[in-house]
This record gives sequence, structure tokens and C-alpha cells, in this order.
Amino acid sequence: MPTSPVLDTRGLTKRFPGVLALDGVDFALRPGEVHALVGENGAGKSTLIKVLTGVYRPDDGELWHHGEPARFTTPSHAQRAGIATIYQEVDLLPLLSVARNLYLGREPKRFGLIDFARMHHEAAETLRGYGVDVDVRRRLGSLSMGARQMVALARAVSAEARVVIMDEPTSSLEPREVETLFGVIEWLRGRGVAVVYVSHRLDELYRVCDRVTVLRDGRLVHTGAMADLSRLRLVSLMLGRDMERVEREGATTFSGEREAWAGTPALEAEGLTARHRLHDVSLTIRPGEVVGLGGLLGSGRTETAKAIAGALPLDSGSVSVVGTRLKRGASVPAAIRAGVSLLPEDRKHEGIVPGLSIRENIALAAMPRLSRFGLVSEKRVDEVVRVFMERLRVKAVSPHQKVEELSGGNQQKVLLARWLALAPKVLLLDEPTRGIDVGAKAEVQRLVDELAEEGLGVLLISSDLEELVEGADRVVVLKDGAVVGELEGAEVTEDALMAAIAQGPGGGDGR
Amino acid sequence: MNEQHPIRPSLLTTVAVCAALTLVATGCARGEDDAAAPASDGGGEGQAQVLDEAASGDETCSAADHGIEGFDLTDKKVGFSQSEAESNPFRITETQSIKDEAEERGVDLITSNAQSDFAQQISDVQDLMSQGAEVLIIAPLNSDGWKPVLDAAEADSVPIITVDRPINGTACADFVTFIGSDFVEQGRRAADQMIDTLGGEGEIAILLGAPGNNVTTDRTDGFVERIEAEAPDVEIVFEQSGDFTREGGQSVTEQLIQSEPDIDGIYAQNDEMGIGAVTALNGAGKEPGDVAIVTVDGTEAAVEHIVDGWISAVVESNPRFGPLAFEAAEAFGAGEEVGTNLIITDREYDAANAEEELSNAY
Amino acid sequence: MRLDTLPRVDGERALHLLRDYGVYVGVTLIVLFNIAFTPHFLSLENFRTQAVQVAPVLIVALGMALVIATGGIDLSVGSVMALSAAVISLYLGYGPIVAVLIAIVVGALAGTINGVLVAFFGIQAIIATLAMMIGGRGLALVLLPQLDGIRSPGLRALGSGSFLGVPYLVWIAALLVVLVAFLVRRTVFGRRLVAVGGNRRAAELSGLPVRRVLLGVYALCGALAAVAGVLVTARLQAADPNSVGVLIELSAITAVVVGGTPLTGGRVRIAGTVAGAVLMQLLVATLIKHDLPPSWTQMAQTAVIIAAVYLARDRGRT
Repeated sequence: MPTSPVLDTRGLTKRFPGVLALDGVDFALRPGEVHALVGENGAGKSTLIKVLTGVYRPDDGELWHHGEPARFTTPSHAQRAGIATIYQEVDLLPLLSVARNLYLGREPKRFGLIDFARMHHEAAETLRGYGVDVDVRRRLGSLSMGARQMVALARAVSAEARVVIMDEPTSSLEPREVETLFGVIEWLRGRGVAVVYVSHRLDELYRVCDRVTVLRDGRLVHTGAMADLSRLRLVSLMLGRDMERVEREGATTFSGEREAWAGTPALEAEGLTARHRLHDVSLTIRPGEVVGLGGLLGSGRTETAKAIAGALPLDSGSVSVVGTRLKRGASVPAAIRAGVSLLPEDRKHEGIVPGLSIRENIALAAMPRLSRFGLVSEKRVDEVVRVFMERLRVKAVSPHQKVEELSGGNQQKVLLARWLALAPKVLLLDEPTRGIDVGAKAEVQRLVDELAEEGLGVLLISSDLEELVEGADRVVVLKDGAVVGELEGAEVTEDALMAAIAQGPGGGDGR
Repeated sequence: MNEQHPIRPSLLTTVAVCAALTLVATGCARGEDDAAAPASDGGGEGQAQVLDEAASGDETCSAADHGIEGFDLTDKKVGFSQSEAESNPFRITETQSIKDEAEERGVDLITSNAQSDFAQQISDVQDLMSQGAEVLIIAPLNSDGWKPVLDAAEADSVPIITVDRPINGTACADFVTFIGSDFVEQGRRAADQMIDTLGGEGEIAILLGAPGNNVTTDRTDGFVERIEAEAPDVEIVFEQSGDFTREGGQSVTEQLIQSEPDIDGIYAQNDEMGIGAVTALNGAGKEPGDVAIVTVDGTEAAVEHIVDGWISAVVESNPRFGPLAFEAAEAFGAGEEVGTNLIITDREYDAANAEEELSNAY
Repeated sequence: MRLDTLPRVDGERALHLLRDYGVYVGVTLIVLFNIAFTPHFLSLENFRTQAVQVAPVLIVALGMALVIATGGIDLSVGSVMALSAAVISLYLGYGPIVAVLIAIVVGALAGTINGVLVAFFGIQAIIATLAMMIGGRGLALVLLPQLDGIRSPGLRALGSGSFLGVPYLVWIAALLVVLVAFLVRRTVFGRRLVAVGGNRRAAELSGLPVRRVLLGVYALCGALAAVAGVLVTARLQAADPNSVGVLIELSAITAVVVGGTPLTGGRVRIAGTVAGAVLMQLLVATLIKHDLPPSWTQMAQTAVIIAAVYLARDRGRT
């Protein structure tokens, strides 16, 4: 395509204290293309996006917009220039109506007042174009994550947008919603809008992207047509590893078969029932076994994990850990004492304590074991933190670095360390690799294997079918809060899993 | 998003803790001097107010002028609206004086207290009227904002007497009379005492009351005016607010002692700040008489400090409005002419009379 | 990520430094100003006066810092001081030690009620403690309707005596600073309260006894406020439930915020809080010593608060 770029950068450089986040990047974005931006976390993707959208100012290099030098000093400045951004975490106002969110700051007015009739009408129409058919007067917070994402998308893609930047847009979408999103991307491309598409999901990249740029350690290592780049080559570019190794180790790093240990099950959950959420869910995990929990968004996977961990009140049902039955209505502390650890799905809201250091975050749950008479033993904390930072290969300046300064993958490792420091018998992992880079993902998967080898019972929840199939020895499939199937051994294939998820009444509506 | 189980017993816990708090706070209290009578009993025995004929002005009002039929006060129900909590000697004595006088005369009295909330006082007065008050004595929190009450009182032909602070309005139309002290004059007399004590020269400080309060402004204006006119060698070097509280007076005086170690006199605009100043001076190792202190109010605690030498003089602001207020109401009901601006004479305490007059302090 | 490049002090970093250490710069500047322009400033007596005056606010601010670290706020501290003053006066017949202990217990109980309302009933801290602010003062005035002079020599000595030339009040404040700093740094409770403020949901899922921590923090704040009430009463030589501690919650919150503890919680700076309280004390003292109108004091305080909040505005996210 010989068209001149709508945005391009020349020698773009951005430094942070101690880090060179962007190192002379030349990035060009042409009208009407869908451009994949890939790299491990910490490779410089977010920094590049933030420079393009006026959040950061570059230390060096130039930014050109429609063939002219540009300087975006604020995000709204970039927005006015036609650059729209959709972030991974939807930053809308959950208490306002869907329509208000869609039109926030540019509400249709009549006599100086908001013209609600017109706003509701137009909002409903617009959203139908994005496959969202809801009462736009509802509070945004009552919509599913996917629907909210679409509202955010519809809001960002106003008529004037010439560039749309999507940061992990599918991370919280269901398959059906992903299709809608791809439809929207197609439509944007047809209108000559340039789309920057950031994702860790390789399948998606190959489906929708025309060109690809790979960043590593702040440097641009490859740019070219998507179709010309094999998957293996792409992964090796991102990781900076040689291709044969990637080929040999496969796309995930799970090892093959393993033997579950005999003896008392690590976990026995029976008849877990919570009104409107769970109906008679039972499952057993033997020591050394990885049990996958499959199902669509809203099928009760997260609820099952929370119920086992004591974080969701049950109407009936029982949980036993290594033969010891927990009292019903047991609390999180009781479950933890019994040996259950839950790595929650929502890393930001339920996992990290952002203002605290890596060290404090790791020691958080294990504090009672690392203290005497209410006084923290700094020596023991240091020891535990050192051991787990090493084992999990947490990349940080020091244990005293703020956890919020880390990449997603390293934050996830810190959380895993928090739970492993408790020496649990059962580890519940809710979407442990969501939104983290390929390298960290591989490490987490390898770790799950290791832990199972050591005799832990692991419950693995993942929306990534490949991960479930390769990682789990057995997969329990949930739908609408109830168990609808179980696959074991050779039955565990992507096709079988899809069939199990798709079967039964009610369709795939996870809302 | 709290998914933890609701804990039922917590309501009980709260109730139990509340009960425990009250119990511990009062349970088996034993004050420092359980046997002795409380320090201040409202001072009903003290000196009644005396009118200052010269200051009171000539305008008068009678029932006929006001457009109300004459009445006999003993048959009437009187309502009294107090503005501030009865937690300082002035307010305690004022309310007590009204109550005592009503009892003495056998008049039916109903009272309310607005606890320094002006909206509350307006509704208090309306409540008093709906409870059948036919004569109102009001100690207003503010001078302005009384229109709704004045209109209602006029419609019901209820005469209003205001005490200690005036209500802005037309005398004899909106209200019958105002009885109170002349705060400017109090300031002047404090200045006289200060000039006397210092022999006409020295550096002095003023501990102001709460900023924006008319009492503060008046007591400052009168004082400064008299000092400038009578004693050019007395220099006011420091004016800071102690908010009419003892703690405020203490803190500000402590700062004063550091920055003006040679200060000769302190004029405190109320007794509490004056006593705070005494505590501060005492704490700094000063002796009684090192710094001349003049205060306004006439509380027992302040007059005691005259006796022990810390305070030079106290200008009284007499809160015993009962006798004068009822006298005015009675005369008004009987059809006599009543002055519309009744200024009372305030007494003074100094080293010469403090010991024998101590019983008059409130 | 490469970490080999040297840290550069750019604008953003300077802002970070200013927000973390600005309060010390402020204290230094105001001390230098006073040395240059305020007569008799450099005297032992003056420092003693400032230290004695700041002690009660500082003690209240310590408790406030802990509450704010959990993402809460306590508006009732002034009323708890009044309760404490009233209780001392009521119980002084048993001797000063008993009276002081009961006052502190009452303060802790009042704080416990705040804690129960916040932790177990999920009432917003600002509402729960506002109720205690009104109710506590009311109860104090019921217990002791008017100012009552204190004659107990023991209590008066506490307010005006000194040890090694340093007033008891200052010793007590210093001791409490050390204790609270120790609590925050070295104890499980201290670590937990910061985590609760930083991310309550994460703390719950990590098995922390979130409610117990909140309860403890509010009770501690109440107890510290009661100690401040005892000290003010001892210094004033009178229990004055009507005016003791009025508006002290604002001074305490200001000291905490100016000292670099964000109102959003998740972080606590004890040394900064001490410096914040000292800064506000010196600011007021400077204006009084130069005999500027009281309205100036209020405006100067406002300016400092706005500056502190402005610098802190992004702290929650970095």
C-alpha cells in the first residue's frame, strides 16, 4: 500500500528512571490497515501507545501526523486529532446509564438541557450496530463485561476517529462478542480508519491484522505483512529465542501426561449450591492432579473457585481438604488455614495491593506464619520473598519496588508467590495467564506442572481452550452454574471441550 | 462487592458497646469534690440588673402604641427562647434568672434552647407560640432573619422582649423592647481599668473573641477608642483571637509571651480567655501582677483571680435579665410607657471590692 | 526492561520528590524565616511552647493517619477528646491515674463503636464518625454541662511539669510517635491496616481479618484522641467539654495529608505526619507572633492544604 501514513514515528525514545522504555522506534501506521502491535509485557507497547495518544511526551524523536510533525501534549489533544483509544480495563462510569456513558461529555442538547429522548434513541441505534441490544437506560454496571467493552468501543469510535487503538480488546469478551468486534474492525477498515491491535492471542492477530510490528526491550525488531510471518517466527521474535526451541517446546509449556497420586483427594467439593449462581456443583481433585474448569463467561467457574475458597456464601454443600471437612459458611481465613489458596481472576481489584512493595505483597497472606507475638520477622519475610522471587523469576529492580510498577506478568508472579508462600495443598487458579505476555505465560504454565508434580491439587480455570487441553489432566465443564460434563485423559481435546461447552439447553449467553 | 457473610451478632455488639460506653462514663463517677456544691449554681442570688437611664434613650412604647390590648402578666403564659447551650456561666445564669423570676411572680413559663443553631431557634419560637406562649422573651442568636417570627407574633398579638442581643427591626412595631448591655461601653470601661492599672503607659495585648461576632467588634471598638483618646502612651502591640475559650486564651498568650516578653497588660474580651492567660503566665513562671489583666463578664472564677492577684479588674456583663424583663412586660401589659432600648449598668470588680463582692459574681 | 541507564530527575520525578518530602522543605523554610524575621524565636522557651502546643494535635493526627491509611476518616476525634475531658472530671475523685485510665477506655470504646459501624455495618466512615462527632460531644455535655476546674496536683503536674527540661506532654507525644511508627513498621497489625486501605477486596481474599483490623484501628484512634483530651485538660487545668477539641479533626487531617499520607489509603507516613503537624503549628505561631489578623491564619492554612492535596492528587495511581 503506497498510501502515506496517518501516524508515524521516527527515532522515538522514552526513558523512565532506570529504564529505557522506547529506544529509537520507527513505527508507521497507514490508513485502512489493521496493524498488530506485539511484544512481551515490558517490551514497550504500552509506552508507545501512550506516546501516540498524548499521555507521555517522548524524550527524543519525532511524531508525525498526516505527514506533519505533531506534538500531543494531552490525551484530549490526541483525541481531537482523531486518535481514539480503547483500554484493556474499561474506564466508564458503572453507575450512569448506558446512554449517558456513550454520550458522556458530548450529550445531544436541547435548550441547554440534555435531550434524553434523542440520546436514548440514538444510543440504542448505535449500539445495535455493535451487537449490543439492551435497554440503554440501564446502569452500565448491570451489563456483562463484554457488553461494557462494546459500549467503550462505540464511545471511542466516533465519526471523527481516523486511528483506533485497541489494547487487549478481547480479553474479557465471549466468542460471540469477539465475532462482533471483528465485524466492527472490518467496518472501520472499510472506512479507511487505521486500527492498532494489541493482543496476546495469536489466532486473532492472524485473523484480523494486515501488518505486524514486534517490539522487544523497547526496540522495534520486526515490521511487515502479517501473512509473511509464521507463528513460530513471530513467537521467537517476541521472545528473542531461537525458533527450533520454540518448535520443540510447543506453543504452551505444559509437559505431557502425569500420574495423579493415589490416596485421599486433595479437595472434595460436594453439592456446592448458592442461589442464582451455583447448582449442586461437585468436583474432586487428587494430589498431583490438574483439573481444568471449562465453560463460558458467567457459567459459574469463578463462583465455584470462590465458594471453595470460602469467599462466596453457600446455601448448601461441603468442602473437604485432604479429608478434613471445612465448616459450611467457612471464611477465607479458615479455608487458607486448611490449605486452600485462590489466585483471583481480577488481578487489579482482587489481587495486588498497588501501593505496597513486591515484598509486602508476597508476604501479605503468609504474615501470621512469618511473625511471632504479632511482630513481623523481617528475616523470615526476606527469606520467603527471596526464595519465591527467584523461583518464579520475578523481574524487578528490588523487592522494595512498588508492585504497581511491574508488568502484568510479573504482577501475576508476585501473586502466585503470595499463595505459594502459604504452602497450600490445593491451588485454585482463576485465569492465571490472562493478559500477561508470552514469556510469563510459559513460565506460569511450567510452574503449574511443577506444582502438580510436587503433589499439589490444582484447579485451573481458563478461557483459553488450548491452555485447558494441554494443561489439565481432567476438565469439568460448567454451564449456568451446574456441571454439564467431564472429560478425562484422551477425551480432553479442543473439539470435545467445545462440544461439551456448546451442548445442553440455554445457548451460549453468558450475560 | 462484599461477599463475606453478614455477621448477625454485630447489632448486639454495637448496643452492648454503646451501653458500656455510657456505663463506664457515668457508672460510679466520683468528681473531685463530690461533697461540695457545684461551683456555679446559676447565681440567682446575685445582683439584679440596674438600668442605665442615661444610656437607655428616650423612645418608649406602650400597649396602645403597639396595637395590643392591655393585659395582666400573671394570667399570661410566657415563652423564653435561649440561643446557646447552657454550658457557660453567662447562659446558665441568664436562663436561671428568667426561671426564678417567673417562679417568684407565679407566671407560667415555657422554655427552649436552640443550641447555637439559628434555624432551630426560629422553629423553637414558633413552637413556643403554638404551645400557647402569649408573651415572648428571646435571647437571639443572630440579629437578622427574624421576619417569619415577627410576622407570626404580630398576627397573634404576642409582644416580644429581646435580651442580651438586639433583633433588627422597628421598636414598638416588631418588638416591644431590647434589654441588654452596651458592649462598646464595656470596652471603654475595660480601657479605663487598664489605663489605671498601668499608670497610663505600657505595651498591651488584646485577646479577641470569636472573629465576626458583634460582641467582639463592640468590645474592641470601645477599648481602642478610649485608649487612643486617654492614654497615648499605652500601645496596643498584639491583637489575636482566643475564640472566647480558655484554651484559646492560653495558647495565644503562650505565643505572646515568647514574641513580646515585655508585655505589660492583657485585655481579654471574656473571662474564660483571661483565665487561660493566667494559666499561660503561671506556666511561664510569671508572678501575679507581672502582667496586668483586665477581662469582661464577671464570673466567679475570674473574680477569684482578682482576689489572688492575677487579674487586675473585671468589667461585668450582667446576665440576670429576669427581673427587668418581667418588670417591662408587666408595665407594658398595664398600659404604661416602656423604654424601647433598656441599657443596663454593668458593675466592675477590682482589687478594692473583689473580696466582698465575690458572692455577686456568677 | 533495562535498568542500566541512570535515573534521570525529570519533571515527573521532581513532583514525586516534592510530594514525598515537600513537608520537610516547608518546615525548614518556615524555621529559617522565623530565625531571620521573628524576634526571640531561637530560644529554648519558644521551642518548648511550640512543642507543648503541637503535642495534642500530633497525638490525634497519629490515630487519624492510621484510620486514613485504611481508606477511612475519623471526624469524631474532637468529641472523643471532650468525652475524655468530661470523664476525667467525673472520676478524679478516685485519683488522677484511675481517672486518666477510664478516660482512655472511654475513648477506645467510642472508637470501637465507630469501628463496628464502619467494619460490620458497612456504613461510610465519614457518616459513622460524623454521628459520633455529634453524639459524643452531646454525651460529654450531658456528663459535664460546663467547664470544671481541675485541682488535682498530679494532673496539673502532667500538664505543666517536665522531665530533663522537656515537658511531660512532649515526652508522651514522642513516645506515642515511636510506638505508632513501630506498630506500622514491625507488627502484623500495622502491615495489615495498610493493605486493607490499599485494596480491601484483595486483603479479604488473602485471608486478612479485615473487620478486626478496621475495628482495631478505629479503637486505637479513639484511645489516642482520649489521650490528647487528657493532655489538653491537664494543660488547661480545667475540663472544658464545650470547646476542647473543636475542629481538631481538621487540623489532624491536614497534618496527615500534608505529611504525605494519601486520603485514598494504602499508605501511611508517620514521620511525615509529625512534620505536617509541626508545619501547621509553626505556620499558626508565625502569623500570631507577627500579629497578623486571624483570617490570615485561615487563609495560610488553606493554601498549604491545597498545595498538599494538589501534589497528592495522583498518588493513588502513580
